[in-house]
Amino acid sequence: MKTLIFSDDGEIAAQMCAYLKEGFENTIATLKGEEGKCRRSGARSMFVFTGQPTASNLSGALRKLKDQNSVDLVFIGSTAIGRDTAGLLAGSGGLKPISEVTSVQFSNGKATTARFLYGGKSVLTEESDSNLFVVASGISEASQTENETEITEMPLDHSPVTVEGEEQKSKGGVDIEKAKVIVSIGRGLGKPEGLKLVEQLASAVKGEVAGSRPVCLDYHWLSEDRQVGLSGKKVKPRLYIALGISGQIQHIAGMRGSRTVVAINKDKSAPIFEECDYGLVGDLYTIVPKLVAALTS
Amino acid sequence: MPYNIIVLIKVIPDLEQIKPNPTTGEIVTERTPLRLETLSENAIEAAVQLKEKYGGKVFGLIFGKPESAPMLKKAFAMGVDDGIVLTGYKGNNPVYTAEVLCGKIKGMQYDLIISGNQSADTYTGLLPGIISGKLGINLLGNALTIALEDRKIRVKSTLEKKIQNLSATLPAIVSVTQETNQPRLPPVMQIMAAGRKQIVTEAAQPQTMPGTVQISNRAPRSERKRQLYEKPEEGIAAVARAIKEEIR
Repeated sequence: MKTLIFSDDGEIAAQMCAYLKEGFENTIATLKGEEGKCRRSGARSMFVFTGQPTASNLSGALRKLKDQNSVDLVFIGSTAIGRDTAGLLAGSGGLKPISEVTSVQFSNGKATTARFLYGGKSVLTEESDSNLFVVASGISEASQTENETEITEMPLDHSPVTVEGEEQKSKGGVDIEKAKVIVSIGRGLGKPEGLKLVEQLASAVKGEVAGSRPVCLDYHWLSEDRQVGLSGKKVKPRLYIALGISGQIQHIAGMRGSRTVVAINKDKSAPIFEECDYGLVGDLYTIVPKLVAALTS
Repeated sequence: MPYNIIVLIKVIPDLEQIKPNPTTGEIVTERTPLRLETLSENAIEAAVQLKEKYGGKVFGLIFGKPESAPMLKKAFAMGVDDGIVLTGYKGNNPVYTAEVLCGKIKGMQYDLIISGNQSADTYTGLLPGIISGKLGINLLGNALTIALEDRKIRVKSTLEKKIQNLSATLPAIVSVTQETNQPRLPPVMQIMAAGRKQIVTEAAQPQTMPGTVQISNRAPRSERKRQLYEKPEEGIAAVARAIKEEIR
C-alpha cells in the first residue's frame, strides 16, 4: 500500500516510517530543518516543505501529494500542528481519521487500531475503514538505513492564516524519550529549590530529570520538553523514579512503558503506588538523601 | 466592537472515578458522574473574557446526552449568555461530532468559535480542524492569547518547540490550551441565577454515527511488583539494590 507520512517533527516521521515497513511504499514529508532526522528511514521519496507552516497550507500540500502519488493511507504525527492539519484533511478533504493511535494493523481492507481513552484509563481497540491515522509519538524506534532518500523541496502555498512572527521556546536540550534512566518530579517537590536534591539523585543513577505537567507547564520548574504524560513525552526507560508524583492517570500513560518504577510519596494512597515496583512512603526530602547515600556507598 | 462567540463545551465522565471491572478489565462509564471537560472550561473562560473586553454574546453548545444538561448551567454561571444541549452523543467520533455541531452552527450568526484543543478524555484533538474544514473558516489552533480588532483575530499559538504569532480574518475557530487561562469559580449569586435558567435540549442531527467497531475497551494491564515500604528506612536498602541492578 502507498502511504504518505508527515510530521513537523522529523523524529516522529522517522518512527512512523520504521513502523510501516513490510508491505508499504512510503513517501515521507516534513518541514525544512527536520529532514536530517528522517532522511535515512527507507522511504521511497521525500518532500521537504519550505516557508511558514500553518495547518491550512500543510493540509493543502499534503492533499496535493496524496493525489499526485495515488496514496492509499495518510499518517500524521500527533503534534499540535499535526492534529490541526489532520483535522482539516478530514473536514474538507473527506479522509476518514482515527486519532492518537499507538498501533495499527491492516487486513481485508480494514484497520485495527489501539488508542488510549479516558485520559489513559483504558485502551480502546477498534476496527474501521480509516485512511488517515494520527500517530502518537513513540510508535516505534526510528531506524537508520544506509541510503539517504532523495529530497524534493516543495514551497508551501500562501495561507489564509498568516504567520506574523515566531519565538523559539527554551529547551532543556535533552530527549527524555531516549533516556535509559529518568528521575521525575511532581507537585510534591513543593519548591524549585528542591531540584538540587533531585539532581544529586539523577547524578547518582546517571539519569535525566523529567517532570509532570504542573511542574513543567504551570510552575516552569523544568522546560516543557521534559514533561512526561499523555500530553507530553511518552518515555520507556529501564528505570523511572517518581518523586512527589501523585500518579494522575494522564501521567501514568506517559511512563507506563518503563521497565522498573520506583515511587517516593508521602501519601500512602497516591495512585502512583499502584503503578510502581518499589514504593517508599514518606517525605522525599528525608528519603532521597538516604537513597543517594545508599547508592553511592 | 461586539462579537458573537460560540463556545463548544464537552461533558465527560469524571475520569478519576472510572474503575475497570476487576475481573475483565472492561471499562463501563454508564454510572460514572459527569463533569465539564477540563479544556472546555478554558474555552468558556476565554470566550467570557473576550465578551467582557469587547462586548457581545457567548453561546454555549453541548453535544451530549440528556444528563449533560445541568452542565450548561455551570457554563451560564461562568458567564455564558445562552446555549443549547444537543442530545444523542453515542461515543467518541470526531467526524460525526463535527457534523452534528456544524449542522447547528450553520444556522447561527457568529464571528468566532472557541473550543479546547484536545479533550481530557479522548485527546483526539481533531475537532477544531474538522470544523474549520467543514465550515470553511480559518483555524487558529492552540492559542495562548486571543486578541480581536474589527474583523481581524490575532493569537499566539503554542507548538512543541515554538510559539507562532498568527493572524486571520473572522469568522474563525480558535482552540485553547490548559495554559491559556485559569477558569473562574463563579460567585454564588451567579450560580443561583444560572440554576433558574431554562435549559433547551434538541435531538442531534444526523442521528446515525458512521464508523468504527469497538473490539475492546480495557484498562491496560499492569504487572508491577508493588512492593510498598510504609516505613521507608526499612526499604531504602532494598530499593537501592533494585536501582543498582537496573543501572549496571
